[in-house]
Amino acid sequence: MGLRQDIRNETVAGLSLRPVIRVLATSSVRQAAAKMREAGLGLVVVVDEYDKPLGRFSERDLIRLLAKSTAAIDDPVSRYMTPTEYCVKINDPIQQVFSRMEVYGRRFVCVSNEEGTRMVGLTGQKGLMEYVADHFPRQVKVQELEPKLYMEDREGA
Amino acid sequence: MPDPVRRRRRAAEPGEFSDPLQKFEGYQPADQLEEALFCRPVTDMQITPFRTFPPELPVREAVGIMAEEDFFCLLICEQDRKLIGLFTERDVLMKVADRLDELGDQPIRDFMTPDPRIIYETDTPAKALNLMAEGGFRHVPVLSIDDKVVGIIGPQRLARYLFTHMGD
Repeated sequence: MGLRQDIRNETVAGLSLRPVIRVLATSSVRQAAAKMREAGLGLVVVVDEYDKPLGRFSERDLIRLLAKSTAAIDDPVSRYMTPTEYCVKINDPIQQVFSRMEVYGRRFVCVSNEEGTRMVGLTGQKGLMEYVADHFPRQVKVQELEPKLYMEDREGA
Repeated sequence: MPDPVRRRRRAAEPGEFSDPLQKFEGYQPADQLEEALFCRPVTDMQITPFRTFPPELPVREAVGIMAEEDFFCLLICEQDRKLIGLFTERDVLMKVADRLDELGDQPIRDFMTPDPRIIYETDTPAKALNLMAEGGFRHVPVLSIDDKVVGIIGPQRLARYLFTHMGD
């Protein structure tokens, strides 16, 4: 079956999901950056005290902020976050993630439970690349990770 | 009974010789996407525009350029577009974000990721895909055969290439 067909039929649950890193709206940008560093992830979700998502703050937001004012790193993260838009549900087709990324140019897409009431993970560019690579294991996963322009040894007799 | 070791091979009749690889078909792409990913060079994708920056660039200026021009990473090159490193969003987060005031005048050479993974312009998009999916490298510089930077591939460019060739 072709990749196009698979991404229409298979659900987001088939993608590798990253954990959602949450920070309170009252946290500083510095604290949000520390959480991103700790998790090795380029996005935190800003939540209120009831764990309701209010927005997202990414590496890109951090760079834009630092370019304007380095002092702002101690301001509340909620001042510079991007409001959270629609999440995909875990039972939506993978096609939805492709569409989100294509339409909004987003690196990350939030994934909620089937009811859409709670965030259960993040996916995005890396999740989709892994999905496509898994689709063609014999052609993609055999590729060298190290660059080699020439063969190092003679081949054959 | 003839000795199997010493048995002489029968001489081929004129016109009888056949190429042992004549039935070898090689890889046959099943559709347009497979052909695009596995049979074409990476230069079939969008690999430009790109810009290179000297290793002496102060890190504060580098962050400013990334913000203004919406670059996700900078290609750090010596003369003749010889790549020596990448300076990425992740380098900003991990190495300078907390102390940009203090470190801002230092050269980007001190904070870049040296010797990044690269691909050559003759490689296939499948190799770039594997570097991103399995290797976890978000940006992969493309070099010519004489090791000069000729482009860069990021996940957005690769995703667009996939969308274009996936068909309806």
